[in-house]
Amino acid sequence: MAADQKGDHERVPLTINGQAIDAKVGVTLVEAAWDARLPGITGVGCLEGVCGSCRVMLRRGKEITLGLACQTFVETGLEVIFLPPSSAPRHHYSISDFRDSWDIHARFHAIFPEASRCRHCHGCVTSCPKKIAVEDGVALAAAGRYREAGEVFLECVMCELCDGACPELIAPAHVGLFCRRVTAHFHLRPPNLVTRLEELRRKRLAGSKGESERE
Amino acid sequence: MTVGGVPLAAALAEYRPDAEIGPLPTPVDSDALLSTYHPDYLRGSVVTLAVGANAGGSCQRDLAELLQAEAFIDEADLAGIPVTDVDVLVVGGGGAGCAAALTAAEAGARVLLATKLRLGDSNTVMAEGGIQAAIEPEDSIQKHIQDTLRGGHHAGDPELVARMAEDGPDVLRWLIDLGMQFELTPNGDLRTRRGGGTSASRLVFCRDYTGLEMMRVLRESVTLHHNIEVWEQSPAVELLSNECGLACVGAVLASLVDGGLRIVRTRSVVLATGGLGRLHLNGFATSNHLGATGDGLVLAYRIGARLCELDSFQYHPTGLVFPSHLAGKLVTEGVRAAGALLLNGLGSRFVDELQPRDVVCAAILRECQEGRGIHIDDRRVGVWLDTPRLEQAEPGLLERQFPNLMSRTRGSGVDPRVQPLLVHPTLHYQNGGVVIDLDGASSVPGLFAVGEVAGGIHGRNRIMGNALLEIISFGRRAGRAATTTHDRGPKKVTVEHLNHMRRALTLAGLPMTRRTPMILPAYARGTPCTR
Ligand SMILES: Cc1cc2nc3c(=O)[nH]c(=O)nc-3n(C[C@H](O)[C@H](O)[C@H](O)COP(=O)(O)OP(=O)(O)OC[C@H]3O[C@@H](n4cnc5c(N)ncnc54)[C@H](O)[C@@H]3O)c2cc1C
Ligand code: SF4
Ligand code: SF4
Ligand code: FES
Repeated sequence: MAADQKGDHERVPLTINGQAIDAKVGVTLVEAAWDARLPGITGVGCLEGVCGSCRVMLRRGKEITLGLACQTFVETGLEVIFLPPSSAPRHHYSISDFRDSWDIHARFHAIFPEASRCRHCHGCVTSCPKKIAVEDGVALAAAGRYREAGEVFLECVMCELCDGACPELIAPAHVGLFCRRVTAHFHLRPPNLVTRLEELRRKRLAGSKGESERE
Repeated sequence: MTVGGVPLAAALAEYRPDAEIGPLPTPVDSDALLSTYHPDYLRGSVVTLAVGANAGGSCQRDLAELLQAEAFIDEADLAGIPVTDVDVLVVGGGGAGCAAALTAAEAGARVLLATKLRLGDSNTVMAEGGIQAAIEPEDSIQKHIQDTLRGGHHAGDPELVARMAEDGPDVLRWLIDLGMQFELTPNGDLRTRRGGGTSASRLVFCRDYTGLEMMRVLRESVTLHHNIEVWEQSPAVELLSNECGLACVGAVLASLVDGGLRIVRTRSVVLATGGLGRLHLNGFATSNHLGATGDGLVLAYRIGARLCELDSFQYHPTGLVFPSHLAGKLVTEGVRAAGALLLNGLGSRFVDELQPRDVVCAAILRECQEGRGIHIDDRRVGVWLDTPRLEQAEPGLLERQFPNLMSRTRGSGVDPRVQPLLVHPTLHYQNGGVVIDLDGASSVPGLFAVGEVAGGIHGRNRIMGNALLEIISFGRRAGRAATTTHDRGPKKVTVEHLNHMRRALTLAGLPMTRRTPMILPAYARGTPCTR
């Protein structure tokens, strides 16, 4: 609140996409870019840190970090670059092809052959705006512990910043999502849902039989 | 309007999570409450449409201005722009669009999914509370139907509602097959919660990340599908019609990157452009994502589709007032479902927190207008959502069940475990939209509409969890139906429907200075303006 009131007089100098601007105190990088009427800021969606679109590179002196523009506040001297969308995925699979859960390990390594080559550089961890233990998640996945690996990625917003940071091209975000998906696909068979589906199936059957008998 | 009430600092100083709170005052008649305080009933906020399929019907003023406006595209623009042919064009990359695209692609169609921002940038990804499906033993499809119709003040279409409710369990199975996770009980049942205005525990969820979990899975499935091509940063700016302007045969897409136009010719267009929170109707803040500017309504209306309930919107009771960068953003109803109370500036309860949303919203507006709110300044006023009391009753609950809420407020100096949240109603959902049938088909041949852009299911008020169900239920229905249109016709694409509209606007004496759809809110457009 204090910041809001101060914001009317005090300004924060910074650069966004190479343009020097003066922002209000306490606003996010997205709000600052808008206020300065910078063109081309369309990598923005939810404005609350869940869609992963507003990827930015941040430079403070020599230090370079990555982040989400809607969750980062303006700072004096900050240099901000809005990053282009990440490139198309290189790992392909279709979950409907997975019928047998016994060969999932082989499949995983066939789809993500790089995952077992993690060199523990922490690049993914330091780039993650959600502070996810990405590296541990990848290790769990490579060890076949899909459920646990998937749990690590619960808060992943698919910004794919970790993918860009990984020197081994492991695509950690997609590894994480794979793990979450196979866990549900193979193991989620909730009795309450299964029972209701069966009830509805019987009712439909009885319904169509009843109709033909009456006729 | 000047708002009285208790200043924030004083209210905070007074606040104690263990303070005695009196009993709930006897509820007033909810119809009277709604007609006095709900924004839909604000005097002057509703006008009568003069042109189009809904001429003579009422419509919210700001929306009417967009519906009765000039287009960006002219006949002359169509010459010489690149043309792409596909079987099905899906416009909008949220949950409804992805479900339609996947279903059409599974049926063998070549699908193009064009979306305004990034695939998955949507209202879907932000949904927190959950999705409804009648799966508990003591619940039934029938109860789900009744709750939905009652919640919508019996303005919903019973056929559409019945199909959606029946689809519920199978929608969950489809999502699980695609790899979506849900919260389970210790013995492996899907965990359910009870949402406001429902008679049974029917809301399934994934922590408070239900939409994120859904969108991640749909996005990945769409991206990896060999029959689906995705164009991002490519909003539809106009639909295309056949020679008499009476059927939809494609769309014109504009690139947000370089402004270039493209024509897409197709058998069927599925509009899945979502809602319109970013129009900030009646001056309200919104919970919606940046792309929610009602484009689909504008495009559908111009090509002749009938719309419904254009004067009925959902204001979610608990939008954040503070911290400012999250103004309008949601605190999920799940928090109230878990037991959090609403308190006014005097520290008293004033409404049953689990009443339907419109009622709770009207009650909060009443407190604020009658000087029992808590205010920061002239514009910002609200009431308490008492999260610390909830945390005290069940320590660790907020962190465990609402990590999204915690992560959003972290770093802003507001900790919901110790400080109650200042909330005020926020523009949240478009109750009505394009009139559709059981396949999601609009009144214009070749044009389907699914998800928030469509209308008819939620009547005049949506109950929690039905939107996420609707987008998958009808997304799949439309995806299926869109592939069965074999009518390829003469491939002449025109903007004849625009000529009809322009003539009507001229006859009605309406100005044609404004060009729509809006695409981006003015404050996010930068200079030079994106068209
Ligand atoms: C914060 C929040 C919380 C919610 N919580 C819940 C909940 O718990 N349970 C529930 O059931 N519902 C909830 N809802 C409602 C629900 O999320 C939405 O109604 C639903 O997800 C809408 O899905 P959709 O696919 O129709 O639209 P969206 O998901 O909004 O997708 C629309 C897409 O179309 C794109 N688009 C828009 N215009 C154009 C154009 N001109 N050309 C091309 N593309 C365009 C957009 O960029 C977007 O990608 C919530 C909504 C919000 C905002
Ligand atoms: S795990 Fe990767 S994709 Fe997910 S939030 Fe972190 S950096 Fe982004
Ligand atoms: S960036 Fe890649 S190689 Fe480095 S730790 Fe992460 S997963 Fe391993
Ligand atoms: S805009 Fe969605 S994460 Fe920033």
